[in-house]
Amino acid sequence: MSRPRQQPSGRRARTRKQPAKVAITLRLGSEQVRRLQAAAKAENRSLTNYVETALLRDLSHRDEAARVITMYAAPGTSPHIRPEDVARREGESEQAYAERRDLLVELWSIPDSE
Amino acid sequence: MVPGAFVRVLFPTQEKPRRPGLLHIGYVLGGTASEALVAYTTSQPWPTDAPIPAGVRLFGAEAAAQLNQSRPFLLRLDVLAKLPRTAEWFPDLGRHDQGVIAIAPPELQSELIGIAANLVRRRRELVQMRGP
Repeated sequence: MSRPRQQPSGRRARTRKQPAKVAITLRLGSEQVRRLQAAAKAENRSLTNYVETALLRDLSHRDEAARVITMYAAPGTSPHIRPEDVARREGESEQAYAERRDLLVELWSIPDSE
Repeated sequence: MVPGAFVRVLFPTQEKPRRPGLLHIGYVLGGTASEALVAYTTSQPWPTDAPIPAGVRLFGAEAAAQLNQSRPFLLRLDVLAKLPRTAEWFPDLGRHDQGVIAIAPPELQSELIGIAANLVRRRRELVQMRGP
């Protein structure tokens, strides 16, 4: 029966874990700190927890903004289109065309999600 | 392949976003003479325990049949593709119907434009919240 191979030191190999949190240093103006402390107190949080929550909320907004619309752009397609190039449907009213054209121009400008 | 058309398209996938993907029915929001903006559809049912995201329009069996589709489906206005109007992406482009399955009636087209416009507004607000 084979035995587990030991490390040269005689100790078992350990999997190195990432620390759960990394400390960072943040320098802010005293007035900003005062306002943040007041906001944290109003929410019954520590200043550190308040700042952490605010930063995580910002990251969440970034993720959500990126996710609201997923856009795939095939190679060679234009990053933008001009309003006058948007094809009009036969029988489409002026107002309906204008709404769709403006929407299309804006949608078209959304960058590739990849 | 006019705006409002449901059309057979090789919609790109998350795994291979730059290449023609699996054959799906897409909804043409519009485009130029050479390119089209297409929304994704799928007949895979949405999980019952997951909320339906903004930008998704459900079509039951009856509504699907009116659009010449045999099964209920989801239209994902939150999943879009900018594609060249070529046979590489629209395999039936050379056929007389250009692969068009059905054309949405004007009221449905307006509704879908409204859903897409709401999504764009929501995205714009979130982007502004992030700052320039």
